[in-house]
Amino acid sequence: MFNKKQMLPIFLGALICFTSLQISAQSDYSNYSKLSQKIKNLQSSYSSLSKLEEITTTVGGHKIWALTLSRGNADNKPAIAIVSGVSGKHILGPEMAVNIAENILKNHADALDKTTFYIFPNMSPNATENYFSSVKHYNNGNAKNTDDDRDGDVNEDPFDDLNKDGMITMMRIEDVTGDYIKLKEDERILVKADKNKGELGKYKLISEGIDNDKDGKFNEDGKGGIQFNKNFSFNYPYFKPGAGEHPLSEKENRALLDYLYEKWNIFSIITLGPENNLSNPLKYNAGGAKKRVVTSILKDDAALNKFLSGKYNKITGTKDAPVSTGKGGDFFQWSYFHFGKLALSTPGWWVPKVKDSAKKSAKNKYVNYLNWAKKENISNAFVDWTSANHPDFPNQKVEVGGISPYKMSNPPFSMVADISKKHTDFILEIAKMQPNITLQNLKTESVSKGLSRVTVDVHNSGLLPTHTEMGKRSRWLRKIKVELKLNKNQEVISGQKITLVTSIDGDSSQQFTWLIKGSGNVVLEAGTSHTGSDSTTINLK
Amino acid sequence: MKINRNIIKSLLLVFLFPLAIGAQNANEIFRAAGSPHNPKVQISFNRYYTSEGLAALGKKIAAAHPNLVKRQSIGKSAKGLDIWMLAITNYKKGKADRKPGFYLDGNIHSNEIQGGEISIYTAWYLTENFNDNEYITKMLNDRVFYIVPTINPDARNNFMKEPNSGSSPRSGMIALDDDRDGLFDEDGYDDINGDGSITRMRRKSDHGDFIVDPQDPRKMIQLGPDDIVTTQRYEYLGSEGIDNDGDGRINEDTHGYYDPNRDWGWKWQPDYIQRGAYKHPFSLPETRAVADFVLAHPNIAGAQSFHNSGGMILRGPGAEEDLATYNRADIRIYDAIGKKGEKMLPGYRYLTVYKDLYSVFGGELDWFYGSRGIYTFTNEIFSSFAYYKDKNGGRDQIYDFDKELLMNDAFTPWAEFNHPTYGKIEVGGFKKNIGRATPGFMLEEEAHRNMAFTFYHAYHMPNLSIADISEKKLSGGLKEVTVTIKNDRLMPTHASQDLKYNISRPDYVSISGANVVAGMLVTDADFNVTQEQKVNPAKMRIRNIPGNGVIKVRWIVKGNSKFTVTVDSEKGGLITKRSN
Repeated sequence: MFNKKQMLPIFLGALICFTSLQISAQSDYSNYSKLSQKIKNLQSSYSSLSKLEEITTTVGGHKIWALTLSRGNADNKPAIAIVSGVSGKHILGPEMAVNIAENILKNHADALDKTTFYIFPNMSPNATENYFSSVKHYNNGNAKNTDDDRDGDVNEDPFDDLNKDGMITMMRIEDVTGDYIKLKEDERILVKADKNKGELGKYKLISEGIDNDKDGKFNEDGKGGIQFNKNFSFNYPYFKPGAGEHPLSEKENRALLDYLYEKWNIFSIITLGPENNLSNPLKYNAGGAKKRVVTSILKDDAALNKFLSGKYNKITGTKDAPVSTGKGGDFFQWSYFHFGKLALSTPGWWVPKVKDSAKKSAKNKYVNYLNWAKKENISNAFVDWTSANHPDFPNQKVEVGGISPYKMSNPPFSMVADISKKHTDFILEIAKMQPNITLQNLKTESVSKGLSRVTVDVHNSGLLPTHTEMGKRSRWLRKIKVELKLNKNQEVISGQKITLVTSIDGDSSQQFTWLIKGSGNVVLEAGTSHTGSDSTTINLK
Repeated sequence: MKINRNIIKSLLLVFLFPLAIGAQNANEIFRAAGSPHNPKVQISFNRYYTSEGLAALGKKIAAAHPNLVKRQSIGKSAKGLDIWMLAITNYKKGKADRKPGFYLDGNIHSNEIQGGEISIYTAWYLTENFNDNEYITKMLNDRVFYIVPTINPDARNNFMKEPNSGSSPRSGMIALDDDRDGLFDEDGYDDINGDGSITRMRRKSDHGDFIVDPQDPRKMIQLGPDDIVTTQRYEYLGSEGIDNDGDGRINEDTHGYYDPNRDWGWKWQPDYIQRGAYKHPFSLPETRAVADFVLAHPNIAGAQSFHNSGGMILRGPGAEEDLATYNRADIRIYDAIGKKGEKMLPGYRYLTVYKDLYSVFGGELDWFYGSRGIYTFTNEIFSSFAYYKDKNGGRDQIYDFDKELLMNDAFTPWAEFNHPTYGKIEVGGFKKNIGRATPGFMLEEEAHRNMAFTFYHAYHMPNLSIADISEKKLSGGLKEVTVTIKNDRLMPTHASQDLKYNISRPDYVSISGANVVAGMLVTDADFNVTQEQKVNPAKMRIRNIPGNGVIKVRWIVKGNSKFTVTVDSEKGGLITKRSN
């Protein structure tokens, strides 16, 4: 008979083998159920260091996961939140988030002594499933019924897979009223004709489908849904398709915020999504920063962003990222402008620039992509234009084709492990720099009998400031509390019993002095939820 | 047998008793013009009601008028109280939620209580006058009123039941950390003199800037730099309170604090930009309940919320940055209603929030208009004009008013207390039910005038009719049918904000029973200018039916069958007419 103690390691061993086998066998991105299973397996393999919660179930019936990594009391340490799957197009994000969690648990568990990670792997599960559907197409929305073109009818004009290739690409129609011409560099690509260069349009370029409701617009109201990354309150795109009727109308958006608002220990939010302030830091704009409704990163935060961007580029070894700062209603900008946290975002991958023999890369991003795909032997990067019959263009030449969906915004799966590892390293570097309040240079002098002068430096030993400049303004970051816990027979003669400090910069300190009457011990505490805290006992002279 | 009869008797008593005490013998009554003279539900409008009180009154009104009132809870407050709504219309005529709807609420700010009573008064007045008064009868035949007496039941009760000043709590009851020290609501007010109100603290001080008015000991006089003082000086120490958390400050983290009227999802901004914002748009259960209700009722065309005080009829924009949202066509409609309000509400001024009050984001009226295209006003009930019906009365008339008309009921005289930090102090001042809340004997008039203003507003919601159906024979067995649809009120079926963003769906004008060959909107009947609708011409999609105007729809039909025309407008209602 085996006893339970002997069984456990065998069982665990089997489980780890099983999960690692599963990972090594993986050749493509994980769909919702596979990723959920991976998250659950990971959590049960490291149950003492992690906790898994469902924060809500979406209208489409998907559970939204929150995975907490920490050793000991999670809410008592400075924390980093990692949010991905913010855009359904970006299927790399959820995969990366789970890999990062696994890397930390497996190889860097020590970091969990000082830092907590709250990880939300996929905020758009309904949308990411479109990658795995029988007709691959972009659709960033959740499962809510929406009238995307606001004409009073719902879902009356969806995409149609005309060439039955299991993908929604584009249609080009030979038509002198069209605005497009073939690009000389690569005739598969169409670009707008430039009248100033004497070019005349020859093609119409429309997404693949039929004008089902005969309103002259194509595919303008399919299963749109509401997009996670369009439903936040900063620069919200009112009345735009996918935005919803008002900011935060969706359960998953609200559930995430309700969760984040309760976690006072979060100092930084890292978004793995389309926005990128890590490759290229946000630029300070005095006009935008000084308006009542602030639209520019604040000055100190811009400097901090620049410093962290340098770290990112070095650690991940990436370059040439396209600029992407958020289109409004997005989560990343919310996390800075409306929440005031240290907000960082990266897509993790983009199409590298391919240089020809003359060391020049294509100006057109699609051409660059096709060059890169050729170099990397990526199959089916482009669906060649082929003729199709189209009921809306009965006497015209219609061809269906174009760049395959998802391939330009997500790397081949074989690259995901390495991308995840580099981003784990970067995130751990942020954790190392986190704000850390300590008490230094404590000095107790006797001024007179029964009267002591106490002096201390409240020091932030982290490289990061305790509060971003925006965070100083936000009510959702607590102030640093410096408090003397006096006994009955002790009294403060000079100085405050409780002082609230707005912020202390990285590697900086603020000095405090008190005159205290009485004798015995006094406990001095300093810090707050997201800065760590320190305490010491003063022996009154 | 005897026992049974007794049971029946007592049952009868139980059922009849509320009505029996409500109605009075007709011989004992003479109708005062404009008021229900023998109402089924008796309500005193010279006092205020707690949230439970308002709920009970709503229940009584609904029970007494089952064909006119449907009562429902639209959601729960943060503390779990129901948010009661009375949907009032003639349920025997038409479908309630297809009639143009008027939404009305009160008390979003906890201490601004009159809206509760005005709402109840309105519900009472509509139901008790139905069939007695033609204007009201028509109103309930053609329109539906959605009345929510308090959208803040938690803090309404807190204002009334707990020690507060006339200005607190503005916030709801969810605890927040105002001083960012990690503790929630740890240093609120303290009712030192035990009068149920938070009044003021003063202390004798040789360096104070005040003296007691020798002619009125309730009053303090502020000293000027050249005044020679021969009497005791005083200093003010703020609102009643002690330093509960020992941080060297008093009342710095009271109940709340957030402002429910900064929580609405139109151009919402966070707290550091817009003080009082909570977590995100509609982060409060109360405002969310209202928003969800309004989103589910696209028939709502007009709305009103009641606040206090200052005597104002307010329209948006709330924020200067939102100026472009309010365009000229809609402002003309606001102006027409607002200016009528100034006449109906003496002492009230028709104003625009951002320029006449303050520039503010996330308000209720801006969401109703900006996001839903609903013409909406906020009234700030009561101003010092009311004391002596005098615009030039000055600040001190409240002292005279208290003495001469309220028999000193509104002031707690100064009395000595020991304060743990300040030592010997005096506490006293006006109670929480004066200054902003309308005094009892004036409350019914205040309610009536504000109600009449909302009726004027509700009257001018779109009112559609099919004014004319004309037929003209064409060759080839074809016939031209021209239908004229009239809207004889001020508001269009789509506000221009609505048209700008396609907030409401188009109005559908459809024909059934006819073989439709083509359909078109006639834009100029005299010169025969038309816009053809190529797809599905039997159901014409009309962007808007203007206020005080007509539209003409034309069909070319085959054959000579009878037909029915239907006009189906979200905000304008549903009407049909048969051909002759």
